[in-house]
Amino acid sequence: MPGALPAPDPDHVAAWRGVTVRYPHQKRDAVGPVTLELETGEHLLLLGPSGAGKSTLLDTLTGLVPHVIPAAVGGAVVALGVAAGSRSPAEWAQHIARHFQDADQTLCGMRVDDEIAFALENQGLAAETIRTRVAAAMRDVGIDEAWRGRRTTTLSGGERQLVALAATLAQASRVLLVDEPTSHLAPLAANRLHRLLMTRQPGRSVLIVDHRLDGLIAAIDRVAVLGSDGGIVAEGPPAALFRAHADRLDAAGVWRPLASHLDTALATRGVAPPQPPASIDDVMGHLAGLGHADRAMARQALTPLVTAALPRAPIAGPPDREIIVQLSAADCAPFLGPVVLRNVDLTIARGEILGILGANGAGKSTLGLSLAGLVRLKGGAREGKPGGVAFQNPENQFVSGSVREEIEAALAVRGTEAARPEAGDKVLAGWGLGHAASQHPFELSHGQKRRLALATLTAGGRWPLLVLDEPMAGLDAAAAADLALQIEALAASGHALALITHDMDLALRLCRRCVVVGEGTILADASTAKVMANPALLARAGLAPPVFKPVLDWFSEAAP
Amino acid sequence: MSLSDHLWQFRLSQLHPLPKLIVCLIWLVAAIVVFDARFQLFTIVLAAAALVLFNRSSLWLVLGLMIPFALFGVGFLTTSILFRDGSDFAGKMAAEAPFVSEGVSAGIVLFLRAIACGMVSALFTLTTDPGDLVKALMKDWRLSPRIGYALFSALNLVPDLASEAQQIRLARAMKRGGSPRRIPGLIEGFSLMLPLLAFAIRRASRAAIAMEARGLTGQGRRTILGAPVPALRDAVFAGSALALLACMLR
Repeated sequence: MPGALPAPDPDHVAAWRGVTVRYPHQKRDAVGPVTLELETGEHLLLLGPSGAGKSTLLDTLTGLVPHVIPAAVGGAVVALGVAAGSRSPAEWAQHIARHFQDADQTLCGMRVDDEIAFALENQGLAAETIRTRVAAAMRDVGIDEAWRGRRTTTLSGGERQLVALAATLAQASRVLLVDEPTSHLAPLAANRLHRLLMTRQPGRSVLIVDHRLDGLIAAIDRVAVLGSDGGIVAEGPPAALFRAHADRLDAAGVWRPLASHLDTALATRGVAPPQPPASIDDVMGHLAGLGHADRAMARQALTPLVTAALPRAPIAGPPDREIIVQLSAADCAPFLGPVVLRNVDLTIARGEILGILGANGAGKSTLGLSLAGLVRLKGGAREGKPGGVAFQNPENQFVSGSVREEIEAALAVRGTEAARPEAGDKVLAGWGLGHAASQHPFELSHGQKRRLALATLTAGGRWPLLVLDEPMAGLDAAAAADLALQIEALAASGHALALITHDMDLALRLCRRCVVVGEGTILADASTAKVMANPALLARAGLAPPVFKPVLDWFSEAAP
Repeated sequence: MSLSDHLWQFRLSQLHPLPKLIVCLIWLVAAIVVFDARFQLFTIVLAAAALVLFNRSSLWLVLGLMIPFALFGVGFLTTSILFRDGSDFAGKMAAEAPFVSEGVSAGIVLFLRAIACGMVSALFTLTTDPGDLVKALMKDWRLSPRIGYALFSALNLVPDLASEAQQIRLARAMKRGGSPRRIPGLIEGFSLMLPLLAFAIRRASRAAIAMEARGLTGQGRRTILGAPVPALRDAVFAGSALALLACMLR
């Protein structure tokens, strides 16, 4: 066993000094050179575009890279006063808790209570202490006691993420390394998790990577931004950093909180807050204090943002449109599983983007599969042609050896074989995948995999209905903006789309109509505006209003 | 509570995994050694009845479970009939059995033995939680946690593969334009092998990283929470099963 750690450094618990990481057979470094410190008790947010090396950097602190995942690591990584490489990743687990971006990397496939207890058992803690900590972690995270005996592989993606977080928090480590902890969580659960992670605890330092910044940023002390070249491009207190580097962050495809976007917009008319805002509340407080003339200027300044936050297509009610799919008194069940939704009546029309909202495990994905006709109903009826589904895990729908082969296989349903390569080139170029044509689909970045999945679904023109299951999860800002435009274009071209999402702002922007799933049925089927304006319904379904809602309310009140 | 009530509420999954494992292993050895069609038949019926009565397994599931073992056993049967000169020992042993010829008789015993061994194995796996088994092995038989959790991952691979196969079948069915059949055909089954192998490799490496990152070292003191505790019913079960076996072998 390794010796005891030295006394905690009064200044920092982790340091990367000129660190570079290069994976085998790669021509460029995955990250670095990076020089960064995590101070004692600090909450540090690490941002960067997809592929910048954020997760790799976290893996170096506990030695997963290079001890378990082979790579050449340059520079010095110091954890709790000693070289990170002086101990094995397992030996670091007692002091540094690691939550991975993919919940399946944190979890080992056990029952829920065993998963949460696993790291504590490895530390040899007393059984009673473990039981107490497991119960507390389950309560804090909001895990139902009924889940205790369920295997984590039987849970939905969001439910697994909750268990992974409970397992991480139960460790009560001095350092928490958390990678995208809320990407698959419903809004209420995400808000609760952000509060839990960001509650100050004596001596606990947190390094978090997350794209969901609103609700998180107010509890962050410092932000470090990794550029696409793998180095730190900006670093500092969040509010000041987002004001000073807004253009640079946008150009790099890095997410910014709404408060920062509002600040930038207000600055164009000279009515930005004197101090950079740290939260949406700061901006709303500033707007409330403006005089008449400045209010008008602020309204002008925010108009482009408000326009972008709402659906663009002209309003047309479903009765005027062709119904693409209709479910009548449908009992929906997953493939070979029991009924999870009963008595569902639902239609979706050509050119419509229907939002499907609900808590984790409510049955949204099952409803999507039922709409597409991919799983048989246990009761009721479905009318309409089959639909295509972009699965939550895009890897599930790739069957070919290269990106080009995937596209050409999708094109096989139309046109001649001779025309296929040329048509394939067009599709690849249209989805920004031309440079990756010869790569295996599994080698693509997460954003590229999502684009490829959508490209294969739309290339053949077979499906009038497309079901998109959490399409934005794990994407950086640039990829998400690009995908939102593609979704709008698909609707404009006559597809009906069902968008399963936890992102209420995305639903507000893209969907004129939403269904809320919960309690084993459809709780509401109404215009998005009505759904978002019903706090009781949202709370009942584990949802929260869009972050943008206070701005819309102010915009209405400030109308001339 | 009366004895019949106790029996009605009893489940094989409540038993401690290790006594159950020992009983099943002894019975397996007996099924291999005893060359008697009546014993093999009794073992099959007993295992099937135990699954239906004390695990609430459906009769169709139990009959379905026998199919792969029966297919395996058919190989023995045909080999014995066609090449009976090669199975001298089996022939002599089966000569006492009440079947028409030595070859057919030996083949039928071998056929039944394949099903009997399969059903005893199924009885254990269907009524034992892999987590409980690994905990019991680590606590009572001092199995190394590294080996224990590797075994745990391997035991869980089958249901995980089934779940992954469902996802892949859904995606492929979508590309064909329809919903998947409940049971995949032969061609579909073969086409799933490569992606499932890739999944198994990915799953194993992810589980290894997850366990390492959460402090599984295989050294030093480790707490084992919720390990099964032996109870009187385990002794009753083991005693009854072994007494029954002894009676059959007399």
